[in-house]
Amino acid sequence: MIEFEHVGKRYGGRFEALADVGFAVERGEMVFLTGHSGAGKSSVLRLLMLLERPSRGRISVAGHDITRLHVSQIPFYRRQIGVVYQNHQLLHDRSIFDNVALPLIIRGAAPQEARNRVHAALDRVGLLHREKALPIELSGGEQQRVGIARAVVARPALLLADEPTGNLDPQLSADIMRLFEDFNRVGTTVLLASHDLALIARLRHRVLRLREGRLVADEEAA
Amino acid sequence: MTRSQPPSRDSAPPRRGARTHQITAEGRSRAWRRHHRQMALDSLGRLRRRPLSTLLTMLAIAIAMVLPATLWLALGSAQLLDANLDDSARMTLYLDQGLSESQAMAVAERARAEAGVAGTELITAAAGLAEFQQRLGMEDALAMIDDNPLPATVLVQPQSRDPQAAQALAERLGAIDGVEEARLDMAWLERLRQLGELGRRIVLVFGVLFGLGVLLVVGNTIRLAVESRREEIEVVTLIGATHAFVRRPFLYVGAWYGLGGGLLALALLTLGRGWLSAPINAIAQSFGSRFELPGIGPGGSLLLLLVSTLLGLIGAWLAVGRHLAEIRPR
Ligand SMILES: Nc1ncnc2c1ncn2[C@@H]1O[C@H](COP(=O)(O)OP(=O)(O)OP(=O)(O)O)[C@@H](O)[C@H]1O
Ligand SMILES: [Mg+2]
Repeated sequence: MIEFEHVGKRYGGRFEALADVGFAVERGEMVFLTGHSGAGKSSVLRLLMLLERPSRGRISVAGHDITRLHVSQIPFYRRQIGVVYQNHQLLHDRSIFDNVALPLIIRGAAPQEARNRVHAALDRVGLLHREKALPIELSGGEQQRVGIARAVVARPALLLADEPTGNLDPQLSADIMRLFEDFNRVGTTVLLASHDLALIARLRHRVLRLREGRLVADEEAA
Repeated sequence: MTRSQPPSRDSAPPRRGARTHQITAEGRSRAWRRHHRQMALDSLGRLRRRPLSTLLTMLAIAIAMVLPATLWLALGSAQLLDANLDDSARMTLYLDQGLSESQAMAVAERARAEAGVAGTELITAAAGLAEFQQRLGMEDALAMIDDNPLPATVLVQPQSRDPQAAQALAERLGAIDGVEEARLDMAWLERLRQLGELGRRIVLVFGVLFGLGVLLVVGNTIRLAVESRREEIEVVTLIGATHAFVRRPFLYVGAWYGLGGGLLALALLTLGRGWLSAPINAIAQSFGSRFELPGIGPGGSLLLLLVSTLLGLIGAWLAVGRHLAEIRPR
């Protein structure tokens, strides 16, 4: 599903955030990306989202080289991927329903179908009863679940998450992780960046470990 | 793109990607129209929520539109824009003083027979005097003059508007017995035409300058709107919105500004016309003539609205385009 070959990324022409990173994630896998702060976890995800272009190497997703994708193709590429952010990136002037519906509106889904899908996604994360609320009326953990509902509402084949449990207490973190495992169980490929080592150890999935921009370990699922 | 992927080699879990929207072309065009409708209303709602700043922006656009439009109308009323100056291409034959009316008629007849003459009109001495009196409102003063000081005249409409042909014709007509002088006012005609050209260029320069002004007003307003919705733009771009999708609401805002500004400009023009027409009519009446201030008319109104809306649209496009260029991946 994801393939990195000798990928390097320099910011501002000097600073090397990633150097010679190579790995492959199979379709249907769930993989953790970990490492100290500044190791390059977010950089890997940003390259996958085409928010940045690699300075070196090749990245392919679902068999397609994305490094040379034309700018006009990027939106359509991004629609294949669901992304969850640490700060959830919800629109604060829109209801929970509208936030989750956004990916479907962008795709031009029919209103009735969109409504069904949004309800299904909100139901999955247990927030169907809050669909009319505004994001600020929700707790941090609830907002994070809305972010997840938005990421999966269009049923992407690939789900990326950058520190999805960053601000949450251990109990909530475990709940969120269980959600990701659920989506993975029904076939979604999941790549999660996190430095919550205790949590990662408990979940027994494959772990890619970065240090100073280099891939230093690739530990298979226990 | 997941769809074009060959089946994966491992135990092939259910492929959710394959179920992502299979939207038909018809469904897509319906969705496209739906989004346009939504954005048109949504942007209108946004403008209505800030009535003062909306009104000020529209007023700025209106003022920028009113000035060139007024110039255009003023030129039109001086008939300088009218390239068709046929009427002014006439020649005037001044007949000998003291010709009887039948003699004058005979001269007009001869002139009419001359090659290159399209038509003639005889103005007898008496008719000339009457018209003169009426124009100047000096009936009393002139009534005291016993002798009619005016000669009979023949207005000649030449067939050709070529200056050289007209000159030759004037010489031939001047040679007719009973014609004192044939006058062809080419210099005046030429000057008028150049004045018209100057007027047109002034209108063009002002039109372009004020058009740029509209672009700047709309562009700057939209830039601020983009700034205030930066977060939203980034989020929707992240989840796969195309540039067209991001641009759409702002284009509508720009178009609404342009249309509103155009309508205000029309209102200002109508108001101004009403305000000026009373004194102008009074002045015209004192000269014994009637003068109608030119209005912009339905065609002109439509053109003005079209131009202002288009300028709003372009201004918005430029403002959003700049922002979109900033957030493309490096
Ligand atoms: N836009 C940028 N310009 C310059 N340097 C950057 C930029 N983005 C990231 N970096 C640098 O690249 C390195 C890797 O950053 P990255 O965000 O990938 O780290 P991370 O592993 O996600 O860290 P954290 O756990 O703190 O989120 C860091 O040293 C960071 O300072
Ligand atoms: Mg990070």
